[in-house]
Amino acid sequence: MKIALISDIHGNLEALTSVLEKIDQLQVDHIFSLGDVIGYGCDPIACMNLVDKRASVKLMGNHEYAVLGQLTTNSYTPAAKISTEWTKKQLTDREFTMIAEYHMIHEFEKVTMVHSSPDKPDRWQYILDATQAKHAFEHFSGNICFYGHSHMPTIFREMPDDIPRQQVGHNFDPSDDTRYLVNVGSVGQPRDHDARACFVTYDSSNNEIRFHRVKYDTAKTQEKMNHAGLPDVLVQRIAVGL
Amino acid sequence: MAEIIVKYENKVIERIVTEQRRLSIGRTNENDIVLENRGVSRKHAIIEFSDKAAVVIDNESLNGTFVNSRKATEEVLRDNDIVTIGKYQLVYNSQNTNPADDSVGFDGTMMLNTKAQRNLMKNDNKEREMVERYGGSLLLGGENTYFSEYRIDRDVTTIGKAKFVHVQAKGFILSKIQAKIVKENDYYNLVNLGRKGKTKINGEPIDRQELKNGDLITVGKSVFKFVKGKK
Repeated sequence: MKIALISDIHGNLEALTSVLEKIDQLQVDHIFSLGDVIGYGCDPIACMNLVDKRASVKLMGNHEYAVLGQLTTNSYTPAAKISTEWTKKQLTDREFTMIAEYHMIHEFEKVTMVHSSPDKPDRWQYILDATQAKHAFEHFSGNICFYGHSHMPTIFREMPDDIPRQQVGHNFDPSDDTRYLVNVGSVGQPRDHDARACFVTYDSSNNEIRFHRVKYDTAKTQEKMNHAGLPDVLVQRIAVGL
Repeated sequence: MAEIIVKYENKVIERIVTEQRRLSIGRTNENDIVLENRGVSRKHAIIEFSDKAAVVIDNESLNGTFVNSRKATEEVLRDNDIVTIGKYQLVYNSQNTNPADDSVGFDGTMMLNTKAQRNLMKNDNKEREMVERYGGSLLLGGENTYFSEYRIDRDVTTIGKAKFVHVQAKGFILSKIQAKIVKENDYYNLVNLGRKGKTKINGEPIDRQELKNGDLITVGKSVFKFVKGKK
């Protein structure tokens, strides 16, 4: 089975549309969304509708959790706080109901999927280094855990009696006797100095993990964000992938 | 000590610093450097290190081992030699550091000659763009294979080995708080605080000096580039 994993769309409709076009060319069996469909960007509802139509599994992200009022935004940056409030105002009861049905974690075959970390998914912890990865490896049972949250395409490989090995996300063929944590990057707000939208495909029949980058019309997204009055720092960062 | 930078399709994906005498390279888990693609054999090659040199030895691999694009069975590696295995490239760097030499050449001029420093120079334009977007001042670089970015928006930013500092640096001869950057109006001063190691700007040890745009700050083994913003 071939699946596409998309995460951290963040209300960026142009990025999502371009990614879905690319996914159509790749002929996948399923699309899984790993959360944070909304927040930061100016098209939360359009993105939610598209994800609802296309994705077989929809997971909860911290931005969804925040608009549901389940999470305080005290620790958020000022721009994130403003965008959360802005997003909340756009959503109607219909969307809140849709979000409430998003799952925290999903498992299929030997694969786990979660937005932030398989350990207490509702605590929204980051997996950024080998120590955090080592901890996360103890909290899922299968071979591969796909996650998002940090917007950094990354691969951690579990090493026997050692700290996990960390690599920047790139195409690889996972082996059956090794466990991996794979950050699928971000569709709508990449932060690895590459502005192109990022997503991952996993083909379980021939064990292939592929990272894809898709160019999209960032200028159009920026114009719409400006028009919506979203904070400048959010508008600027999507063009440089920061 | 030797450094191997692993690249995939020209992108740095990992940096390995080792003091081992021998590194095995291959597709399976028991190798020291695991390269998981089908073009890579299970036990593809080994690199052996002596005090002065490194040798890469191909293990009769199916798709071969290449040094600087030439097929190799056994080849001595020099600094910045590129070993190609499948779609991966491994860049070798001996990191031979002689403590007496202190990075000053025979004629007394400063040599900016480590891989890290050259990488920082090379990415100059990209950085400028990033800073222009952010507007504020930044420190770029550090211990990671890809960019780390530290925003200098506080009045005092600390650099050192301790967990609690703002910017963490690596190395053996290095104090917990090695240095601080003090923001005074529009000026940034780098002040050395450490007793163990030195804080350097562009290779020169300093006690207190104003930072200029593009200055390279060396703390322990970490190199950071200071980029002055407009804010």
